[in-house]
Amino acid sequence: MSAPNPSPTPLAVGVDVVKRYGSFTALSGATFTIHSGITGLLGANGAGKTTLLGMFLGLHAPDEGTLAVLGVDPYQAGADIRAHLGYAPEHHTLPGDVLAADFVRHVAELHGLPKAEATSRASDALWLVGLGEERFRPMGTMSTGQRQRVKLAQAIAHDPTLILLDEPTDGLDPVQRTDMLHLIRRVATEFGINVILSSHLLDEVEQICDAAVIIGDGRVLTEGSIEDLRGTGSDIIVELETVDAAAAVASQLQQLGHRHQHLERVVIVSGDDESVFDITRDVCAAAGAGIERLSRRRFSLEDVFLEQLG
Amino acid sequence: MTAEIFDRGYRRYDGERTGLRGAAKTLVTHSIQRSLGLHRSARHKIIPFALIAFAFVPALVFLGIAAFLPFVAEEGFIPKYSEYYGLVSAMLFLFISFVAPDLLCNDRRTGMLGVYLASPLNRNTYLVSKTAAVFTLMLIITLGPNFLFFAALSLQGFGPGGFFAVLKVLGQLLLSAVVIAAFFTAIGMAISSTTDRKGTATAGTLGAFVGSAAISGLLVEGLGYSTHFRLLNLIATPMQLAPRIFGEPGEWLSSENPSWTMGAAVVAVTAGCASFVWYRYQKMSVTR
Repeated sequence: MSAPNPSPTPLAVGVDVVKRYGSFTALSGATFTIHSGITGLLGANGAGKTTLLGMFLGLHAPDEGTLAVLGVDPYQAGADIRAHLGYAPEHHTLPGDVLAADFVRHVAELHGLPKAEATSRASDALWLVGLGEERFRPMGTMSTGQRQRVKLAQAIAHDPTLILLDEPTDGLDPVQRTDMLHLIRRVATEFGINVILSSHLLDEVEQICDAAVIIGDGRVLTEGSIEDLRGTGSDIIVELETVDAAAAVASQLQQLGHRHQHLERVVIVSGDDESVFDITRDVCAAAGAGIERLSRRRFSLEDVFLEQLG
Repeated sequence: MTAEIFDRGYRRYDGERTGLRGAAKTLVTHSIQRSLGLHRSARHKIIPFALIAFAFVPALVFLGIAAFLPFVAEEGFIPKYSEYYGLVSAMLFLFISFVAPDLLCNDRRTGMLGVYLASPLNRNTYLVSKTAAVFTLMLIITLGPNFLFFAALSLQGFGPGGFFAVLKVLGQLLLSAVVIAAFFTAIGMAISSTTDRKGTATAGTLGAFVGSAAISGLLVEGLGYSTHFRLLNLIATPMQLAPRIFGEPGEWLSSENPSWTMGAAVVAVTAGCASFVWYRYQKMSVTR
């Protein structure tokens, strides 16, 4: 199996999407484009992530703006689009007296698979998420980690084009969380299923997503590939062997009139074009300072998030 | 000889999908099976099968009488088809009090509603499917015993005479069973839509039936109010409409309670409850 094929049609496109519930505005003009792979919907609790997932499923129509999922309006397409989507809700309270295999089979049948195929694929999906031996256990006897895996299994069993995972690591301990993230990555890269996951945890989005849409106060604050988002900074960072060497470099940059910051062995020079690289290298050479690292400054997603929130 | 385990990996599915029709059929089947306790532990089977069995008991008793004591049957000891509903009225409202909460409240409490609405089903088709499941289960009790009763009596020579008379009775049986099943289904679903706690919904449904009978009795028999207040009785009203469907007077005098008022009351309650359920589900938040 391979990673999802890059498709000329984006998975989801929203243009000025507005959604109101009475006097409360959940989304206030969200514009975004989501491509194949794993995309994180990132935002604080109440930012509008779950509302957006509901709109991807066609459960709510936008009050204003347009939304397309797999090339069609999900609210209009309804049943046709949902047959090709998988969804794992945030909550953990699945029917306690139902066996995991029966539950996954039932959801696969709901998505249009014939009974025999649904039974076979339910079993396969549970094996793939690591619950092969546990598949005939009632879900009420399972741990939170196992139930999260069952939710993932039911989302993929019917071979969807895209799965929507709402806070898939909620309630998991660090080990379970790492395992679940690995599993989601595997779903995308090995099984070839596109994933949109909502999360308020920056590091997990950074860890497994190819791209992110950062939402705050119902708006899209920024979006793009993780690489692009982390490369948003326009600075050069140079790490020198000693604090004195860094001070000497900072002094020379000051004389040349280049904006910079000096933090112990690190000097951050404003600008990221080739000439700034060259000047920084030359200044270091002139100061006789040994360079340990010279690169574009990398931002963490947290830096980006906090910067966007202002 | 050695065995090898092959990892089948993740397989694509390129076959046909059954779409909305398949999803609805799956939900109806699953709901009926769940309600009857199939694929569940034994304790979940006790109440539904006991109530269904009790609903069939009078039919089997009278059939035994007709078979082994035909002279008793000829003396009019066997009840009319329209009277059968009265004999099993307790089973009817007990059954709906357990079935509707089991099928509606659990889906909201466990978040299954969100999973269903992420499938080809939407709120309306989900409700139609659930209604079909509850209605079908109710028909087991409203139509099943009476139809068995009719078929067996006919075979023993106690049924209607002539092809058209048989057709007429069959039509009346079907209509009365459908009306009563729809009435109880609507009430049970309306009460179950107000809470996601199964026990609360069951108690509420039982309370509505018993309470309505008590209030109606108090107003008409106790305080001497108009006999139209009998129509508040959610158990007796559909039971007394059944004889009218068969062209019989029933226990309520036609002069006091004309058929059209009883029909209108049953239709109004059924439609009102159905509208209420629809409204509740349109407003419900489901994505969490």
